[in-house]
Amino acid sequence: MLEIAELSVQYRRGRTPAIRDVSLTLESEKLIVVGANGSGKTTLIRAVLGLAPISSGTVRVFGEDVRTTRGTASVSTNLADVYRLVSLPVRDLLPVFARLKAVDLAPLLDRVREFEIEDALDKRIFELSTGQQKLVGDLLAVSRGSGLVLLDEPFDNVDFSRRRRLARLLQELPAEVLLSTHELELLRLFENWRLAFMFEGRLFGPFPTAEVDRLYLARGRQPGALAVIETSVGMFSVTLDHGDIPVKSATSLNALVEAIA
Amino acid sequence: MNLGAAYSKSLLTNGSLWFWGAAFMLFWIVIGAYVESSGYQLSGPGLSEYAGAWYAVVVLLSLSMLAIAIANSLTYGSAALAYAFRYTTLTPARYLGAVVLASAIFGLILGFVILGGTVAIFGARFHAAIVPSNVPALVAVSLGAGVFYMALATNLMLLVINYLGLRSASMVGYVPLLLSYAFGLGQAFTTLPTWLLYGSPYNDITSLLYQGFTGAPVPVMLGSSDSVTLAWPLLVVGLAAWTVGLAVTATILLRRIRARNLEEGRQI
Repeated sequence: MLEIAELSVQYRRGRTPAIRDVSLTLESEKLIVVGANGSGKTTLIRAVLGLAPISSGTVRVFGEDVRTTRGTASVSTNLADVYRLVSLPVRDLLPVFARLKAVDLAPLLDRVREFEIEDALDKRIFELSTGQQKLVGDLLAVSRGSGLVLLDEPFDNVDFSRRRRLARLLQELPAEVLLSTHELELLRLFENWRLAFMFEGRLFGPFPTAEVDRLYLARGRQPGALAVIETSVGMFSVTLDHGDIPVKSATSLNALVEAIA
Repeated sequence: MNLGAAYSKSLLTNGSLWFWGAAFMLFWIVIGAYVESSGYQLSGPGLSEYAGAWYAVVVLLSLSMLAIAIANSLTYGSAALAYAFRYTTLTPARYLGAVVLASAIFGLILGFVILGGTVAIFGARFHAAIVPSNVPALVAVSLGAGVFYMALATNLMLLVINYLGLRSASMVGYVPLLLSYAFGLGQAFTTLPTWLLYGSPYNDITSLLYQGFTGAPVPVMLGSSDSVTLAWPLLVVGLAAWTVGLAVTATILLRRIRARNLEEGRQI
């Protein structure tokens, strides 16, 4: 269970916070956070992992504050940074993390074979292509035993065939998932998940992804809006069944915001 | 594979560390045997003491390369450690244990490489068989020195990671090496006060290696015929106290480790 209350993250004093007043609860469910590049999605995940400086608010994972939690092995992520514990080929790194996470190594290796990235095994993390690096992180993140999986752009630079396999895997994953992406088209792969938008460090939603076909963005503050989003390029509303631009028409949130601004 | 084995494998397959920690240090042994000793005619205890002084100082420099490697790996792994302490079964004590194991193994290997090099190169130069007096003691000191350097490097780099920021990392990473040169060469070429020799872990290491190599009491200035000598039990106590103290503070600092972005370390 993930509980975020009024979270703000500021990397340096005097600078604009990377995320502001974000509140979110995730309990036995899966959430996609869609946001433009630089909107704060990765920072949100890093804050949950205890890797970003929390300036105010709280993040609790399975009831424990991330600032003080220790040894909670049921949280995992695909961020490559966290797997740079030792400079060894992936073949040697997998057993290290399997042991630290107290999970079986065999299913992890099976997944590597299933996704046909065996050639990644003989390379160090930094030697992998961006797509391979992402996939290795994804597969480590979804290893058995994780109760909360945090995935930052898990499909970036991953080819179509593996995307489908990964999406199926995530659908079937018996864990809470927080997945961040800038690709709106991915929403169709996860119709029973919840959806939130992230703009300039603030989180809006959640909305049911099943209704993505009915979601619109409209300029200004609209009566009956599901959410009103204030950004530096203007204010707009998330509305149901009517509005200026259907969310499904855009491939990315960047394009959507540009179109409506 | 456990983390101790992983770190050991990582160090043992680090070509750069082998070059700077072993090959480059053998170059200094060659300098000691063929350049610095030009005109010397040494044999017997005199030769052993001269070779022992070079051996002791060069091991110190070699181990400081190990410290630099450990310090650098910490800057690259700050996010991984911050994550691992929260969301895996790894604890700061287990992490330190793993690095202690790897450092001790590599420290021992470096110690043996320099020892073999000293015996062979000085032996060839002076046409004499040089036999180290107490190899088990040299093994023990090399292991302990490896652990000391690990603890020192870990502390220095954690201070950078937690409080100073990575901009200082590349400079601070060289502190163990600079201090090794200062204290090691200081003891080889000048007369340092005895309180400093006992209190400085660098000189504790150098002195213990010298005594293990030569079998003779350690003079205040290595290789000299100074009548004032150092008591090895106090040297052991000095080194152990520094190592344990630094290990304790490293554990405390590790609990507070911050995930740093490597870009912070960029100088230009």
